[in-house]
Amino acid sequence: MSYKIGIPRALLYYEYYPLWKEFFTELGAEIVLSSNTNKSILNAGVSSCVDEACLPVKVFHGHVEELKNKVDYLFIPKFISVYKKEYLCPKLLGLPEMVINSIDNLPPVIDVEINLLKSDDNLHKSVIEIGKIFTSDNKKIKLAFDKAISRFNEYRKLLANGVIPIEAIKVYNKYVNSITTLKNSKYKILVLGHSYNLYDEFLSMKLIEKLQKENMKVITPDIVDIGKINHYISKLPKRMFWSFGRKIVGASSYLIEEKAVDGIIYISSFGCGLDSVLIDLVSRKAKKYKVPFTLVTIDEHSGEAGVNTRLEAFIDMIIWRDRNEDYISTHG
Amino acid sequence: MKEYYLGVDVGSVSTNIVIMDENNNVVVKKYIRTKGKPIKAIQFGLKEIKEEIGEIEVKGVGTTGSGRYLASILIGADIVKNEITAHAVAALNYIPDVKTILEIGGQDSKIIILRDGIVTDFAMNTVCAAGTGSFLDRQAARLGIDIKEFGELALKSNNPVRIAGRCAVFAESDMIHKQQLGHNQEDIINGLCEALVRNYLSNVGKGKEILAPVIFQGGVAANVGIKRAFEKALDMEVYVPEHYDVMGAIGSAILARNEVKSKESSKFKGFEVADIDYKVKGFECNDCANMCEVIQILAEDKVIARWGDKCGKWTNLSDINLQRLA
Repeated sequence: MSYKIGIPRALLYYEYYPLWKEFFTELGAEIVLSSNTNKSILNAGVSSCVDEACLPVKVFHGHVEELKNKVDYLFIPKFISVYKKEYLCPKLLGLPEMVINSIDNLPPVIDVEINLLKSDDNLHKSVIEIGKIFTSDNKKIKLAFDKAISRFNEYRKLLANGVIPIEAIKVYNKYVNSITTLKNSKYKILVLGHSYNLYDEFLSMKLIEKLQKENMKVITPDIVDIGKINHYISKLPKRMFWSFGRKIVGASSYLIEEKAVDGIIYISSFGCGLDSVLIDLVSRKAKKYKVPFTLVTIDEHSGEAGVNTRLEAFIDMIIWRDRNEDYISTHG
Repeated sequence: MKEYYLGVDVGSVSTNIVIMDENNNVVVKKYIRTKGKPIKAIQFGLKEIKEEIGEIEVKGVGTTGSGRYLASILIGADIVKNEITAHAVAALNYIPDVKTILEIGGQDSKIIILRDGIVTDFAMNTVCAAGTGSFLDRQAARLGIDIKEFGELALKSNNPVRIAGRCAVFAESDMIHKQQLGHNQEDIINGLCEALVRNYLSNVGKGKEILAPVIFQGGVAANVGIKRAFEKALDMEVYVPEHYDVMGAIGSAILARNEVKSKESSKFKGFEVADIDYKVKGFECNDCANMCEVIQILAEDKVIARWGDKCGKWTNLSDINLQRLA
């Protein structure tokens, strides 16, 4: 009999889903994903989560509520660090505890700690610990994980080739075979933020799709070369010790300094502690290099008027500025 | 025959309608409290305009404000624009070298930075409504005074009282405390004006280079107390245009004029729309877990528009292509 493993479609799902899916499938388990975020998930999350958490954490609770009666195990690893000398957000560090203490009648939770703060070797320990639920054969676990990693790297190759995760995951899931490329998109917009805010289309109110419909080419930090990110982040006077911060600030610094974007939109969930620092770093840099920057704060709103107005005005401004520059250049 | 252009700005608190001539002069303006009934407000405004100036030929129509798509469907608009662009275009019409626009409306407040006549930067308030007209409305109601007298009272203050402005809830408790300490009403009202300006400049205006000429528009610009608080905080003259309360509508009328230049005729449905029986019916679609709140606009019991669904299946049923982003 194969176990059913529930993976909530929230938070780090948007970073690592293909990896865990391959790993569990190799071990003979069946993956059960929660639905795309919707109103009932949001409502369930808001009512079960502690009220001072940020929106994406609340939504995660909603996804757990949807899955809890359908699966044998819930997979909520305790992510401490995914990169040497760096941490994730404190709310991710305490995620399994938060969920276990807020939601009743949960199936067993796989809350193995993943901590690469000191060394990557710790990952193997964590992987073996997860695999033990399914088999006592350590070799089999290791082999399953190696296979998963190599397929995960294929997925990441798509990102490296400039396919944003929203589309890459569709290719991975075989919803589509190829990527539709925009014709003549003149403007490149960098959309920044934590991946779980950017790619959850319910939370971001399809902001990326709306930009693409306006014929804007969308760039997100996930498709920026990791070497460039690390190089540009090292220019900061103090080391960035958040992995998300490194990615967001490093990617934006590179693209701003290289004048590779026409505008930046930052999607942030209300009350995010990391973003309060990151937004300031990015907006200062953008100002210095005269790149238009705007912030979209998301919370429980379902009215889209606010987001749409900011988006339309931002696009208008970019086109208006651009036309004016053309005008000057022909005469001067 | 003279050419006229219609601009409509449907906002949270007020619905503003203007008629402008071909020289960008305001012929008629209407400032109507929306009171949660935008359709009624638009119809009422059109009716009044028709009675006031009789039959005229409208060459172009522009709509803006949070209800811009609704308005465009009701009256037939040639151009539907966001408030930022509309406000910038209107301000440039009065002060061609304007560099900073402060705009405070009912639920939105914005700052628009212009250089050489183009928008180079803007910001709007975040999820919080502190620093908007609603904040003042609420506190005026609490003090039991008419919002129209608010500004004049503030000018009478000669002993400033500091009131927390970061959050409307904190402001309220701070204000009550100051009242109980015995400060007089004028000083407290002035304190509220300064709190709003402080909050606006640190939240909306954060990091923006505010250069003269500065223009202050939107419904709150009627409040001389706020104008003075801005001048004190910025240490520069703040200019309030004559038609400060309908600038969004003026901007959309000007945009409409530019838009129809390349077109043969306007999409305007005529002033008769004021007499059509419009109904709004909402329902919750239960076909999936999103449970979208779908809105239907009916004219004489015929559906003319639908929106609110995430998947688009209801929107697509109605034969219009206006709600691009709605």
